[in-house]
Amino acid sequence: MKTIYLDNNATTAVAPEVREAILPYLGDLYFNPSSMYQQAVQVAGALNQAQEDIAEFLGGVFPDEILFTSGATESNNTALYGSVRANPARRHIVTSAVEHPAILEVVKDLERTGCEVSVVPVDENGNLDMREFVGALRPDTLLVSIMHANNESGVIFPINELARIVKETSPEILFHSDATQSVGKVPINLRSEYADVDLLSFSGHKLHAPKGIGALYVKRGTALRPYLVGGHQQQGRRAGTENAAFIVGLAKACKLAAQCHAQEEPRITAMRDKLERELTTRIPFVHVSGKGAPRLGNTLNISFHYIEGEGILYQLNEHGICASSGSACTSGSLDPSHVLKAMGVPFTALHGSVRFSLSRYTSEDEIDEIIKVLPEIVQKLRRLSPYWDQAKQQPRPGAPRGEVFDDRAKHPV
Amino acid sequence: MAWEYSEKTKQLFMDAVHGKPGTHMGEIEDPDGLGEHGSIACGDAIRFTFRVKRHPEDPSKDIITEARYLTFGCTSAIAASEALCTLIEKEQRTPIQALAITNQDIVGFLGGLPHQKIHCSVMGAEALEAAVYNWSQKRGVDLAAHGVKFTHKQDEEGEIVCQCFTLSAPYIKRKIKELGLKSIPEITDAIKAGGACMGCHHKPGGLQDLLNEVWGAPQTKLKILPERPAGLSKGVSGGLSPYQLGKKIDQVVQEHIRPMLEADGGGIEIIDIKDDLIYCRLMGACAGCPGAAITLKMMVEKAFKEMVAEQLKVIAV
Repeated sequence: MKTIYLDNNATTAVAPEVREAILPYLGDLYFNPSSMYQQAVQVAGALNQAQEDIAEFLGGVFPDEILFTSGATESNNTALYGSVRANPARRHIVTSAVEHPAILEVVKDLERTGCEVSVVPVDENGNLDMREFVGALRPDTLLVSIMHANNESGVIFPINELARIVKETSPEILFHSDATQSVGKVPINLRSEYADVDLLSFSGHKLHAPKGIGALYVKRGTALRPYLVGGHQQQGRRAGTENAAFIVGLAKACKLAAQCHAQEEPRITAMRDKLERELTTRIPFVHVSGKGAPRLGNTLNISFHYIEGEGILYQLNEHGICASSGSACTSGSLDPSHVLKAMGVPFTALHGSVRFSLSRYTSEDEIDEIIKVLPEIVQKLRRLSPYWDQAKQQPRPGAPRGEVFDDRAKHPV
Repeated sequence: MAWEYSEKTKQLFMDAVHGKPGTHMGEIEDPDGLGEHGSIACGDAIRFTFRVKRHPEDPSKDIITEARYLTFGCTSAIAASEALCTLIEKEQRTPIQALAITNQDIVGFLGGLPHQKIHCSVMGAEALEAAVYNWSQKRGVDLAAHGVKFTHKQDEEGEIVCQCFTLSAPYIKRKIKELGLKSIPEITDAIKAGGACMGCHHKPGGLQDLLNEVWGAPQTKLKILPERPAGLSKGVSGGLSPYQLGKKIDQVVQEHIRPMLEADGGGIEIIDIKDDLIYCRLMGACAGCPGAAITLKMMVEKAFKEMVAEQLKVIAV
């Protein structure tokens, strides 16, 4: 059975070009880039080139502003712990309610060590509450950390605007963004439009590089203590022998993303729109999260009222389709997605969400296959649901009602 | 997280979904026993019904002939419901005999469940208990007289310990004893308590305290950290108190700024004022105007500087 992979916000396939670029460094070019001999210098040269390429990709920043890490989680940990430890006089952090756990769990941990944290809510479309955001800023705020694009809903926050507001409030407040989901999908220029951003995290495996490599942009002059100590590598800002092969792969992946963007982004968005349109037309009682906000073109988060997401995923997988869900049953926690809860998704649909995330390797045939099989899967599960009237294709009388029931009513075909 | 289900679990789920003959999806009309457990807000729910062949003289000897379920939940919740009905129908059981089916029997029938999914089997057993209780009420059977020590969940009122899943202290304690739960993760796996916000784990009267009450206190104690230091705060500058400043700004907006903007079909909203910083948003025609930033700096900020205080600064939101 053919694999239809629509879980690209979880991880992506390594691009063949990236694999090609990596291979020499897993073969003859195995030398430690810190060593003195000529063979090692060649590896060090490749690292410098990669750093320059990524700096160029992010709008022509200084190459030494790019720090290589093991991934976005380490980048986020470095940005948060590193700036707290470098600025002991300030203890206040602002973040959003829909951040990835790699931010939310870190700020919770910082809270236990004496930091104060303000969490800014979002509205039902997933947009950041600007009033609350402004209200949260304080003269003694140390750091504002707001993600660029949300991994679950795809909603994009205007971090250029947010960073500007922060800097106008006080140039001393640091602005960090977890841009794991947007790098490669949204052009980011850290010298012009996004110049007020001080720290920016991203990960290789969301843009067709391997897992285990990421980067943190650190604007020159930003006070930051290293997170990993124990070596002089990367000017002592991140100890540990550089992952030369994957760094080269990351640079290649960034280049490819830049090359493909103009052509692929509209194609991906058109396929996502088709998927959304067809599913909301063919299936009653659905809820599309983040529909009313600026959104990544590759992400569709759609909830089906009165059924549970895991059963949907299981059956999709019987057709070779890979997707994910914000349902409690698909995570380690019994709590459904904190992002969908923060967005106020009706409780009758909270457990029935499915996230499809596309990539440039997604084909229209694959989208058509989902459109073909999903309506029947939903119908069969609803037949089992104690809240569903199968004959009338609507909730039973007395079934609990969330709001926003039928997207068809609001968006006639 | 990828769950590792047994072949039996997967098979039962797919059979149920595809409505294979011999499966038990559905609802018996006018049932002799009806039991519900869970809710849509909690992430899984079952509506379980059975029919009996009525005994002409002694209702306690009624035999269950048919069992059906409707379930909202994941793969294993649906498979567990299917298992429950199959187990009940397999032998000719009276409702009281059916109570002998435990969640462990359901787990066994399924060939095991991932530990995080044990609560799916408990849900089935709970629905069965509720349905038998319902049958006993309808048929006038005194369960206690038949040696059934039966605590219906609704009867166990008490302080709600787990707010997320609305579970009371008496209920959790009974389940700790019945199912032999020894730790907080085991409680969560079995009855979901403490599985969401986790706020009830170590609070006074929380899950750990309930475990201690049932099994005795553990050897080690949690160390309580000292309270965190209060946040720093900078005083308000500008010579005016925050109240006076706000009032003055409002006055300038009403009397000078708003009339000017309204002349062009626009408006302004003050979002917040912090020290010398005024956060505001242009409205109406001004909102989409390419010159909005200049309007704010040249006109709005200038007015505040001249009429309120020189050090004020305007920030567009």
